[in-house]
Amino acid sequence: MSLPKPTGPTGSYFENMGITPELCRSILQTALSHGGDDCELYFQHSASNSIQLTDGKVSQASTSLDLGMGVRVIQGDQVGYSYSEDLTPGALLNAAQIASQIANAGQSLTVPSPTVHTVPNYHPVETGWDSVDMQTRVHLLRKWEQQAFAQDTRVKRVDVFLRDGASVVMIVRADGKMVEDWRPSSMAFVQCTVEANGVRESGSYNVAARGGLEYFSEERQARLVSEAVNRAIFQLDAVSPPAGEYPVVLAAGPSAILLHEAIGHGLEADFNRKNISIFSSKMNQQIANEHVTIVDDATIEGSRGALNIDDEGNETERTVLVENGVLRSYLHDSISAKHFGVTPTGSGRRQSFRHTPIPRMRATIMENGPHTHDEIVASVKKGIYCAAFSNGQVNIGGGDFAFYVKQGYLIEDGKLTRPIKDVNVIGNGPDSLSKMDMIGNDMRVDEGGWTCGKDGQGVPVSQGMPTVRVSSLTVGGMG
Amino acid sequence: MKSLEQTAQEIQALALELGADEVAVSVSQSVSTELTQREGQLEKTQQSNSLGVGLELLVDGKFSGHSASDVRLEALRPFLTRAIDATRFLEPDPHRVLPPLESMGFANANLEANDPSWISQTPEQRRSLLNELEQAGKEASSHLDVRSMTHHVWDAKVDSHVTASNGYSAGWSRTSFGMGGEITLVDGERLPEAYDYRSARHLSDLPTVNDINTELVKRGESRIGSSGITSAKMPVLLRNFAARKLIGTLLSPLGGTSIYEKRSCMLDKIGKQIAASNLTISDNPHLPRALGSSPYTGDGFATTARNIVENGILQLHMLNLYNARRLGRAPTMGSTSNVCIAPSEKSPVDLIRDLPQCIVIEGFLGGNANPITGDFSYGITGRYFEHGEFVQGISEMNISGNIIELFHSFQNTANDVWTFSSYQTPSMLFDNVQCSGV
Repeated sequence: MSLPKPTGPTGSYFENMGITPELCRSILQTALSHGGDDCELYFQHSASNSIQLTDGKVSQASTSLDLGMGVRVIQGDQVGYSYSEDLTPGALLNAAQIASQIANAGQSLTVPSPTVHTVPNYHPVETGWDSVDMQTRVHLLRKWEQQAFAQDTRVKRVDVFLRDGASVVMIVRADGKMVEDWRPSSMAFVQCTVEANGVRESGSYNVAARGGLEYFSEERQARLVSEAVNRAIFQLDAVSPPAGEYPVVLAAGPSAILLHEAIGHGLEADFNRKNISIFSSKMNQQIANEHVTIVDDATIEGSRGALNIDDEGNETERTVLVENGVLRSYLHDSISAKHFGVTPTGSGRRQSFRHTPIPRMRATIMENGPHTHDEIVASVKKGIYCAAFSNGQVNIGGGDFAFYVKQGYLIEDGKLTRPIKDVNVIGNGPDSLSKMDMIGNDMRVDEGGWTCGKDGQGVPVSQGMPTVRVSSLTVGGMG
Repeated sequence: MKSLEQTAQEIQALALELGADEVAVSVSQSVSTELTQREGQLEKTQQSNSLGVGLELLVDGKFSGHSASDVRLEALRPFLTRAIDATRFLEPDPHRVLPPLESMGFANANLEANDPSWISQTPEQRRSLLNELEQAGKEASSHLDVRSMTHHVWDAKVDSHVTASNGYSAGWSRTSFGMGGEITLVDGERLPEAYDYRSARHLSDLPTVNDINTELVKRGESRIGSSGITSAKMPVLLRNFAARKLIGTLLSPLGGTSIYEKRSCMLDKIGKQIAASNLTISDNPHLPRALGSSPYTGDGFATTARNIVENGILQLHMLNLYNARRLGRAPTMGSTSNVCIAPSEKSPVDLIRDLPQCIVIEGFLGGNANPITGDFSYGITGRYFEHGEFVQGISEMNISGNIIELFHSFQNTANDVWTFSSYQTPSMLFDNVQCSGV
């Protein structure tokens, strides 16, 4: 089942489940009964569907349905949290009572009646998944499978996966602000196993967005399949690169995993509020080349990281983090914004009603610089070109980060030569930023289904960047 | 209040009434508490009581799986009606069946998975433990320039019950307790961090607040001044608490789906040498108090202890019923429970004392492995030793190689089995590992 976009006035979706404005006020009042500076309620109803084609058959499907409310009480930097999957008034008030225990004064805030605020729409949907029948989904899977087999005779096995989902969330805050948002998602994944001369390899590609059926344009469907096949074939001939320190050229698009790990996490303000990020003492300092401008943008229409309103009910925005090489802003939730005396950047996000919101990225983008892709490649005598990635990680305080390259090339005398695969690349955030010495003019937002993990919570994100040269990173190859 | 078994039976009856031919229902309930403290102040408290249901449906020989957090029958009725309708549009899969009831069961082993003291834990006791933990952390780190220390305590109880339409019904419950912390130190411009978290089924099995902070501070200290060293092949000691990553890389291609899809470097390796002949890796689901112990598998079979690798020779692929049927083979185990490797009598220090060079791996940073080739590349953190003497902390380095070749180069274990995870393994020494740095 899929949740359609609610058509009634804000608040009516959950009011139909018995969550009246008066009940919300009462829950908030209970949550603040021992004091506290702030409080919010986060109601969420989510549904998702997935179907899978394997062995030539669409014979697996799954659905999940989730409903509940989280209540958070804030006192200074302290947080009391509880949630309930039972939306009866007694259970909700009990959760509020548990969350209230963090505070230790008498009640000081009076909660006004909720006032509706409307939210913008950064992810318009033409054909919601609720109107797409099972046959249409099955047809898509079959079509992609057939196209993959048709593309190359070395393809021996194709697995295809399609997932759609939607959440309706309602946030009601102690200041009376009440917002409602509908968050659709689409994701498709194609994996091919290829065989040649007794060698097997596999490759995959996925695309994801906040969109409906229309997201799967003919062009995107064709790319989804051809990229999966090409990546598998690529692996057949690729080798492990040599180990050591090399100049690294990052291809436009998915290479922004480096931005995400090396810089993005270190600019999340909870780490900076606690003074434990390597960027904590660098505000308004030059931390990169003058051509480096990095933003975290919730407003890129339809992107997986697009966010109409954050999970604390704060307006989202395009936040400029680094401007012409100078650090300008962190990513703030309400707690860190209050700590630093700034306006929240709409970056307070959570995985679900079971989790507290914390500062998170949305779509992290490096803007265009002056160089062409070819100029950048031609400038490297011996190095590594990174084209496709699977995962990355960072140590916030030390600043060390890593990303895993699934696909790339050696660069020899300014040309892409041997294909390389399966190598971990390591660097240090501030050090790598200062070593980004050529920025391309071909910025691309990656269409892959990235999920960012932090404190045990996964949230959908996007990322993008132009081709970039980093003068030196540690490559974990062989020999 | 209804028992979990009643809830599962009612949901099963509903699915059958709505048209499912066969049903397996699993209901799980958890109660958990987590407290975080930093700089003498309680930073976060979270308490939750959660209930969820998972269903597997067979409708006209077609299979689908579903989950929901709302287990009320009135909410599940429309959900299941649609789920069953949608299942009819799939293609049949003859390998999806419930096992015969007589093959299903429940291991008759005393897992000691429940700590009776859990129920009497009070908020004051949790706060008091957290305060002691933080105080011990301050004392253990008093000689260092500490930017921040955060400590956590948590506990939970999980009850679960499964029923199936062939008459199977089984349930069990377990408690868990944990504590740990993170430390951030000042090292010039850098703020290196380290963490140590421990979990156990019984509160009394956790280490003392002093032990955990001593280890946490030691890990933090090793990050100060850390850097990469010159790329070389050399012996590597994999610490017990970090061993999971590399053992998991060896075991992952044994999974039934990888085997069936032929995306595995272990396809034709049963009966063959995949590791040094002095290495045996066993799976023991019946270890008392161990975090990975369980009485039944995901298929409802009674759990059994098995050797996965015996004297370096691969004994099995990990096949649940579905993958076994797809492969025309007998099921073994769908996943690991407690992965066990026997200790030696030597301490980690003894193991590296005579080595001219050795990196001790204490953590990983990023990296991945290719299950088809077995090739891996992981970022590492740890310490570098020469002739058993500490030289420097290690960061910004990778290890790379082939996982089967790596385990062929296994030398010996230490005497320090880690009990705070479902990987109950000691520190392990490998020879000739490609380490890349500057």
